Amino acid sequence: MNRTRQIGRIALLFIVAGAGLAGYLSAQTGATGSAQVGARIVSEGSAKGAIACARCHGFDGASDGSGAFPALVGQPAHYLEGQLRHFASGDRQNAIMQSIAKGLTPEEMESVAQYYANVRSAAIPQRQGTPELLARGAQVALVGDRDARVQACVSCHGPNGAGEPPTVPYLAGQYKQYIKVQIQMFRRGFRKSAQMTDVAHDLTDQDVDAVAAYFDQLPRPTPK
Amino acid sequence: MPQKLNEVDVVVIGVGFAGSILAKELAASGLKVVGIERGSDRHTVPNFQAPAIHDELKYSVRKGMMQDVTREAMTFRNHSREVALPIRQWEAFLPGTGLGGCGVHWNGQTWRYQIADFIYKTHIEQRYGKKILDPDLRIQDWGVTYQELEPYYDRFEYLLGACGKAGNLNGKIEPGGNPLEAPRAREYPNPPAKEQYAGALFRKAALEMGYHPFLQPSANMTRPYTNPEGLTLNPCVYCGFCERYGCEHYAKASPQTVILPVLMKNPNFELRMESQVLRINLDSTGKKATGVNYMDAQGREFEQPASLVLLTAFGLNDVRMLLLSGIGKPYDPVTEQGVVGRNYAYQTQSYVPTFLSEDIHLNSYMAAGASGTVIDDFSVDNFDHSSLGFVGGCYILCGSTNARPIEFHPTPPGTPRWGSKWKEAVRRHYNHTAVFNLSGTSTATRWNYLDLDPTYRDAWGLPLLRITFDFPDNDLRMSRYVTHKASEIAQRMGAKIIVDQPRTGPFTTTTYQSTHNTGGALMGSDPATSAVNRYCQSWDVPNVFVVGACNYPQNSSYNPTGTLGALIYWTADALKTRYLKRPGPLA
Repeated sequence: MNRTRQIGRIALLFIVAGAGLAGYLSAQTGATGSAQVGARIVSEGSAKGAIACARCHGFDGASDGSGAFPALVGQPAHYLEGQLRHFASGDRQNAIMQSIAKGLTPEEMESVAQYYANVRSAAIPQRQGTPELLARGAQVALVGDRDARVQACVSCHGPNGAGEPPTVPYLAGQYKQYIKVQIQMFRRGFRKSAQMTDVAHDLTDQDVDAVAAYFDQLPRPTPK
Repeated sequence: MPQKLNEVDVVVIGVGFAGSILAKELAASGLKVVGIERGSDRHTVPNFQAPAIHDELKYSVRKGMMQDVTREAMTFRNHSREVALPIRQWEAFLPGTGLGGCGVHWNGQTWRYQIADFIYKTHIEQRYGKKILDPDLRIQDWGVTYQELEPYYDRFEYLLGACGKAGNLNGKIEPGGNPLEAPRAREYPNPPAKEQYAGALFRKAALEMGYHPFLQPSANMTRPYTNPEGLTLNPCVYCGFCERYGCEHYAKASPQTVILPVLMKNPNFELRMESQVLRINLDSTGKKATGVNYMDAQGREFEQPASLVLLTAFGLNDVRMLLLSGIGKPYDPVTEQGVVGRNYAYQTQSYVPTFLSEDIHLNSYMAAGASGTVIDDFSVDNFDHSSLGFVGGCYILCGSTNARPIEFHPTPPGTPRWGSKWKEAVRRHYNHTAVFNLSGTSTATRWNYLDLDPTYRDAWGLPLLRITFDFPDNDLRMSRYVTHKASEIAQRMGAKIIVDQPRTGPFTTTTYQSTHNTGGALMGSDPATSAVNRYCQSWDVPNVFVVGACNYPQNSSYNPTGTLGALIYWTADALKTRYLKRPGPLA
């Protein structure tokens, strides 16, 4: 096999893979316009140097399941776009995401947000926690804690944590580790929210564990 | 036979704002205090949590937080020549029940009254002469002045975490606040709420017309706030479910959020729920209360002896309890003798629905209970009445407390009340209609009063309270004048359709107006015209104190809770610094 033919084959492979990806994306998202722009950034990154979102968050927005990266699939576009803006401005402090968000124009932020808001992801197996932990998590998530003066998570995050679009993200099906880290971020001021700062301070570490485990094992909300 | 319990120092009847604050102050002074509450135990967690709390049918339509009319109603008539009938469904006003009382389902509008309010008779007669008053009007002074109450207003506002901008700091007019307010000693504890779009349009129009718009003072938190009791409230999320609902976010000041957790921790305090007080007991002289009798949820009757009785059960119920217990002489409108039931007054509300252009999207559902931009230029006596032929006035508020889907669907006059044309009109106007709310003075008259109904009784066999009330012509003339002023502002805002809708008589209990029922147990300096002295202490039975809007000799333009809070702390202070040292009449 001569060298030219080999290069040709590799090039063909890329073209086929590219076409396949585009087909996969349009079939998966059913979205047009800005979501297609979003799909390109998700797979290739942006002109200003943002790396491809899919590297950590996957094409389907489910990320890798480790909890180091949140599930983005089906989060409200308005919420996702707002977070990108907050990363870029430093209102939400995150070393990795800040440089990525700074590499996106406002239009690109909107497009990426639209992409992940509309993408579909296969259901994942539910994780387990001990019955005691999950029961305590359900108590705090659905009813709140009177002594700690913490309201139920679902008061803002929607029935069963399904989110309250466009501003409030879902928690149902979000990764436990990610939720726990975010509570720390609110406590330490790396993430700012008039509501969540108080809640994060009022929750005990045990209750953060319980709530995070509870939401992790719930199914993600069905996209509308 | 009622079971007689061990004597305590204090019995508190009704545990709302007044009951919980007074109980907290006295329990902290070392007294054994028992709070008796007829309704159920309820707390932010678990009782007020979403999504269950956002149930419009349960709370707004079926009045889930209100006094149970199947057990305890009130009867109503417009005039003493009529036969009163029981109110079977709360509509015009909403008396709460349960721990926290009306302080749970209120909107959080946190006003002070004017200097003139407290010396209303003196002020009006001095400024205009007696002739401005129609012959049947009966206004009086309170026996306490604004200046005396100022520190207590302050204390209550800091307890709540009131949100606003001072307009008059010690006489100095401050930009951004209400320049017409009575002077306050310091700034509000929290900044004012966000301005709604409708309010911003109103502000612009009002400014162009030379008025003085400002953001309504509220008890819906604008930032995290820790009050002097050490309790922290969270910021409001503008969900639009304040009035008629409990707040799930610890964001609305209520007894549950600002005082009860501290009270409940004090071992000197005991709370008894689901317990209906039947009467305050008097000794053989009739001059001293010996305690109360109450019935618990199991139907067992108890006698709770106490050396001090605090009646804090919502103004209307306070008056009824005085009448049931024979404390103070009942008022008779024919002879004008007697004091209990005298000068029942209300609030003269009117509305100006302002239908705007379709390209103005108001998004009124983003609302806190006390959201709104307001002018005070036509309140009480803030304007010259010499040539107007009436007394009193209204504040004009443009704001929305909600745009909840079942309750809020403004349609212009002439729209059918159901069917496709109605739906079309709702779609057209839902997001493009501002409703001005005018809250007006209610001038007391000789003929508006409270007494016991001769026919109807409650579930415990006791006579119901009977309300005899109609709007005095003075107040209807006032409403016409100020409502027209509001319509002019709507005009300036560029409204397509304006409904100039002043209050008209007769008063009816079938449409919501206001829960601001006042009078019936007035405070004052003359026992011939007031049921309690200037410290809210019964003239006839000095170990009974009555604290509620029933103390107001007539009603001002403003929502009454701020002033009630001032009276609560004023009374607490009188009890602690004077009464407890030497029990007996304080005035």
